[in-house]
Amino acid sequence: MNNRKRYQPPRYGDRILRWFCAEEVIETLQGDLHELYYKTRKEKGKLLADLQYLVDVLSAFRPFALKRRSGSINSNFTTMYRNYLKIAGRNLIKYKMYSMIKIGGFAIGIAACLMISLFVKHELSYDKHHANKDRIYRVINVMDIPSDPGKGTAFPAQIAQVLKDHFPEIEKAGRLIPYDWYYAGDNQFRPESHVRNNYEKGFAYADQELLEILEIPMIYGDLKHALTEPNSIVLSKKKADKYFPNEDPVGQTIILNEDESHPFVIGGVMEDFPANSHLQFDFFITLTDVEFWQGEQTNWCCWNYNPYILVRPDVDPLDLEEKLLLIRDDYIVAHLRKTGNQFADDAQKYNSFYLQPVKDVRLYSEGIHDIIPHGDIRIVWLFAAIATFILLLACINFVNLSTAKSANRAKEVGLRKVAGSFRGHLIQQFLTESIFFSAISVVLGALLTWILLPYFNAISGKSLVFPWSEWWVAPILAGIIVLIGIIAGIYPSFYLSAFNPIDVIKGNLSHGSKSSKLRGAMVIFQFTTSIILIVGAFIVYRQMSFILNKKLGFDKEQVVLIHGTNTLGDKLKPFKNGLLQLSEVQNTAASNYFPVSGTKRDQNEFWKEGRNKLDKGVGAQIWWVDQDYINTLGMKLSEGRLFSEEIASDSSAIIINQTMARKLGLDSPVGERIMNWRTWTVVGVVEDFHFESMKGDLIGSLGLVRGTHGSFISVKVNTQNIASALESITKVWDEFMPNQPIRYTFLDETYARMYEDVKRTGNLFTSFAVLAIFVACLGLFGLSAFMAEQRRKEISIRKVLGASFKAIFQLLTLNFLKLILVSFVIAIPIGWYMMQVWLDDFKYRTNLSWDVFVFAGIMVLIIAVLTVSFECIKAAVANPANGLRSE
Amino acid sequence: MKIGAFEELVLLAVGSLGENAYGVAVKELLKEKTGRTPSIGALHSALYRLEDKGCLNSSEGGATSERGGRRKKFYTLTAAGKNAIIDANRIRLQFSKNIEGLNLGLDES
Repeated sequence: MNNRKRYQPPRYGDRILRWFCAEEVIETLQGDLHELYYKTRKEKGKLLADLQYLVDVLSAFRPFALKRRSGSINSNFTTMYRNYLKIAGRNLIKYKMYSMIKIGGFAIGIAACLMISLFVKHELSYDKHHANKDRIYRVINVMDIPSDPGKGTAFPAQIAQVLKDHFPEIEKAGRLIPYDWYYAGDNQFRPESHVRNNYEKGFAYADQELLEILEIPMIYGDLKHALTEPNSIVLSKKKADKYFPNEDPVGQTIILNEDESHPFVIGGVMEDFPANSHLQFDFFITLTDVEFWQGEQTNWCCWNYNPYILVRPDVDPLDLEEKLLLIRDDYIVAHLRKTGNQFADDAQKYNSFYLQPVKDVRLYSEGIHDIIPHGDIRIVWLFAAIATFILLLACINFVNLSTAKSANRAKEVGLRKVAGSFRGHLIQQFLTESIFFSAISVVLGALLTWILLPYFNAISGKSLVFPWSEWWVAPILAGIIVLIGIIAGIYPSFYLSAFNPIDVIKGNLSHGSKSSKLRGAMVIFQFTTSIILIVGAFIVYRQMSFILNKKLGFDKEQVVLIHGTNTLGDKLKPFKNGLLQLSEVQNTAASNYFPVSGTKRDQNEFWKEGRNKLDKGVGAQIWWVDQDYINTLGMKLSEGRLFSEEIASDSSAIIINQTMARKLGLDSPVGERIMNWRTWTVVGVVEDFHFESMKGDLIGSLGLVRGTHGSFISVKVNTQNIASALESITKVWDEFMPNQPIRYTFLDETYARMYEDVKRTGNLFTSFAVLAIFVACLGLFGLSAFMAEQRRKEISIRKVLGASFKAIFQLLTLNFLKLILVSFVIAIPIGWYMMQVWLDDFKYRTNLSWDVFVFAGIMVLIIAVLTVSFECIKAAVANPANGLRSE
Repeated sequence: MKIGAFEELVLLAVGSLGENAYGVAVKELLKEKTGRTPSIGALHSALYRLEDKGCLNSSEGGATSERGGRRKKFYTLTAAGKNAIIDANRIRLQFSKNIEGLNLGLDES
């Protein structure tokens, strides 16, 4: 006995063993452990024996020994959960229709939610990939003139040098010219060794330092030197693969627009811009040694460069903005004073600078004039809100149906309570059940998302993919399952678990009618949301058709734009004549400028002759167009005459629009002389026509002057048979330009594209409205079925006593119609306000009128009645004997 | 019946110990014959697994003072266990015939 006592192994070993080891394993395992300890102790002493013992104990930490083998300690717990799941499964199968409505509504809601989440995530991810994203800023020029505030991204050419010279906080500064300007924009492109031209878009001018600021990954060439040489050009990987497959094209020569006197040399190939970058270019042309005209690089007259800066770490952008005011005082205002411009005082007073973090460019550029496509943070939030609402609607269905069907579960609850279940257990049970439902729904919803994502992409203009392989997807989906399960299940579980067993088993339960008020409120909520979304969709479509059908002041129908005609050179005139010979062609005109945003623009300042030092100038577009332009595009002259080739002095003639005449204060404009950097004689006035998106400003001032060349030739076709006309046009083109495939678009399509985002918003609204009303109807259908079932006896008795089909149908539907009416009343002011806000973005807009609301209301009403009537008719025509027999 | 290499050794040891095959005894025999010392946990794991597979039977008994009064679990080889050993051996022989210059010192009879 003493012997054994002395060789007792340390107690913690046993404790560890008992903690993880199953009961049935522990006896022999412990015996063996003790015996081994005894042996090592005798041979090697206490210390080694203790260590060995610990190692041995831990070595038993294996599946065979673990507690779950036992099944005795927590068996109640797992068995009950297994039982809960089994009951949930049986209920699912027993009430197939209700289960389908619950799960289907949920899955749809979740799919909508997931898609929108992916959308929102993508919008929020813009420009977060730059290594120095917190130190990169875009410099914005802010003019706070009370009458005409504005923000712009353009600066004079010297800006980058000035930024670097005067501000040690700035590590790097690089300029970008992103808009259609000289070679920036689009070009006919060919490697020197090729003969055929290809049309390419996405050209921009950039400084070498811009590449370094953005740290664009290079595939070939060196990031530090890619654009340092004059006339160098950087291609994206996509384009390099297209023209130089499987080779390093650095050093190859590129010809743009057939201009062999000005070749470009490839300085590098960069990685394509990711989809979530606000900059999307395929070609960067260097700004090294570029001077667009004599003295351009040192003159502070002309604002064409967008500067990006990289600041040193720990620089406060607000401080730096203060310091930047030096540029205003020493350069901008100084230049204005030197040239005697009246604007100098305004600039001194109102000009300031804002450093926009690069990651804000996508979503927070409201009111900044640049040509980069932007998202809108308000739209992002709006969509997120809509997603939440649709999910909420689905949750409401779940709550509604669960409480409505409570009568069916009441006996079960009563029995469980009698058998000893606590209320907590029942709550657990119903939560388990709702999590079970939400798990099925989330899986279905994820699959649905995956299937529907291509359609969603088509509507939203994105290219989202479901990130199956990302590590965070599974945990997030699991989180969603639990969260939604709890949100949807919390009310039913408390409600159902509160039943008093005696009442229930006696049959005294008021069949779930207690919560009918709450159910009513939920239906109202669902339909309010649906009506608002439907109204939204209607208004968006109405605005869209308003824009597309508005009298524009020009005729966009049946105009074909032939692109890339700048390469025609001297052959332009013969080509135009060739086209005019075709019977289908009514008129042709060459120009770069079109009344569609995104085409070329040239902003100038005009004065009456000789008043440029005295008056504030009138900002106006100046468009170079040929003599046939006005007729080809169907604009109308209100005074004066068109340009003429016969009149030599027409090279200084200008045709202005009515707005410009008014702004310049010209009462009888024809014959007046006006000036920008030279003098022009007004020969005509053209009626105002829209040349920018109606989303933006009112019609601006515009002067047309005579040019002879253009990258586009517009062709007015006078036949409905566009296809044959195009065939003839192509034939003529091929005669003139055999090496350049013809490329054309239609003016009306280009015009419609201007409003693509409006259309997109409309489509998204419609999709969401359809989803919302569908989910709401699912719920309503379930509720009506429940109601009909509840009142079966009542209906049977009414029928026996002589009630007509009509009376019973009314009785059953009237309740629901009341709810719909209430939601209609609630929806009107909310929808009115929301759409008012949306329409305020447009300068030219349709009116909000009552008929939209009436229409939306009637539509919802009809849909709701149809939904409800199925079950109501079934109840009304049922044989009353069947309903009463069981009593 | 698929058994692993270590399991095969355990079966052999249990078989050769006869009536007296329990955890510690098996462990010591394995150490004596193979020079390897499996941890007691690994050994128990294998024993339970083999019992699940039907290669071993077990019975309890024989507490001693070294064991703190805890009973031993004695294992005996079942017919299935014997077959498993034979199977494993056959596979080994079949392979060995295909390897040139390998002589296991056994002649197939």
